[in-house]
Amino acid sequence: MKVITFILSLAISFNTFASDTNPAKDLLLKMANAVHTRNFDASFVVVKGKTMEPYRWVHAKQGDIEIEHLSLLNGAGLEMVRVDNQVTYFEPQSEPYSLTTDSIAGPIPEVLFKNVERLSNHYDFVLGGKGRISGRAAQLVRIESKDEDKYNYWIWLDMESSLLLKAAYVNHQGEALEQLQLTHISVTEQPASMLLEILNRNFPTPLPNNSLETLSSNTAKTWKIDWLPAGFELLKSDRHKLDLNNELTDYYLFSDGFVEVSVFIQRPLPGKRLSGSLTSGATTVYVHNGGNFDVSVVGNIPSLAAKKIAESVIRAL
Amino acid sequence: MIKAHVNRLDDESLSALLDGEQQLADAKIAEQDVATFGRYALIGDAMRAQKDHSDIHIDISKRVALALESEPVYADFSQSKAQSAPQSDTINDNKVVVFNWRKPVAQLAIAASVAMFAIVGVNMLPQGDGAQQSEIPLLQTTPFTGIASPVSYSSEPALKNAENGLRELQQQRIGALVLEHQRQARVAHSLEAAQTDAKKTEEKN
Repeated sequence: MKVITFILSLAISFNTFASDTNPAKDLLLKMANAVHTRNFDASFVVVKGKTMEPYRWVHAKQGDIEIEHLSLLNGAGLEMVRVDNQVTYFEPQSEPYSLTTDSIAGPIPEVLFKNVERLSNHYDFVLGGKGRISGRAAQLVRIESKDEDKYNYWIWLDMESSLLLKAAYVNHQGEALEQLQLTHISVTEQPASMLLEILNRNFPTPLPNNSLETLSSNTAKTWKIDWLPAGFELLKSDRHKLDLNNELTDYYLFSDGFVEVSVFIQRPLPGKRLSGSLTSGATTVYVHNGGNFDVSVVGNIPSLAAKKIAESVIRAL
Repeated sequence: MIKAHVNRLDDESLSALLDGEQQLADAKIAEQDVATFGRYALIGDAMRAQKDHSDIHIDISKRVALALESEPVYADFSQSKAQSAPQSDTINDNKVVVFNWRKPVAQLAIAASVAMFAIVGVNMLPQGDGAQQSEIPLLQTTPFTGIASPVSYSSEPALKNAENGLRELQQQRIGALVLEHQRQARVAHSLEAAQTDAKKTEEKN
């Protein structure tokens, strides 16, 4: 009898152990590790509908220091440099600025370079099929949203180096909305000399992180956002002027750890205003005419979710 | 009219004076603008230079230096806040200059990002077969590659003109919102880290 219970308990404990280790999640963790420890030089393109953006991505690990450089190669460009925990953004027409964070906010969701565990409540990790991407053997890992208010993200990983080869935002009809495809990657023993040179340069000091103070500002009390997709939390709210047209806006930033959503509440534009959604790749812009105010929702979420958020905004009195 | 006429007369006499056709009078020179005097002198030099090539002297160094001083500097962080603080020369030498933006191109990029979201109309008709999609009015966007040809405003009725103006306003706003979202999203993860840290310390206390 004792032997049977022992075997039974062993079987149960083995079962729980088996359900804890998700091979898809393991692969993602391996990828995050590879992206942080390897020396590589890669090129990729991001395809959003009819537009295409080419990037170059170089990473090095020199001793304990990580150096990373991501640049947009078309148009006026955009350059992002990371030295350990400091990321500096060089954008056309504005002063460069630095942030204290351990990954670049580029076209690849940042959470993929960290611990994906925190997404478990709202996303499932599923192992997909094998295939050939960028001339290499690849394994598909699907990050599937548990509800229809968020997009799925599919990611193809190199079976040899665990590095990322392809990724796509996929809607619930199974259509890829925005794709990222590596065209070339070389993994080297030694870090690229171009990156080592960056170590000798000075970057702007990171902006102060006064986020937690702005949370208690008046804006949070002015408006009530009644509905958000599951898992989204408020990161900041304030009132500021937009850079491009100098318009004043009440601003809210939400994130579920995977994607960010911005909510803008503004003075209404005169005349008959159009309500509706615009999309570019996975990015949705939903413009809502709220009567005395205009609400705009921007983020990588389905337009129906954006519409629901925009329409749930009410004046809190 | 009258003033212009008087000025021309004065200039004539000055010109004559410089060409040696008139007697020099101190009061007359004092009356003239020094700059005008210099200019006429230069014209005279240039005309006479055909015989003797050596004697034209145009000093533009001052103006070049001035122009250089007001020339905008790109990707120079020491200019903003850093400059007000005392900084040693060795630090200044390490400026990041690899990333050197050229302004005209930058303007093009901003325009392009806005054009990407330019609205050309609203389609209220059901889109495709998806039941949920049909509930949402889709604002139609111009494709990035083939931007719609500009409309001739002069031939448009006034009402439509006003409508176009409004649409432009909305387009501008959407462009600004998308840019702002991109920038704010970059801050998101450092904010998130700060918030989870704050929560942890709260739990400990």
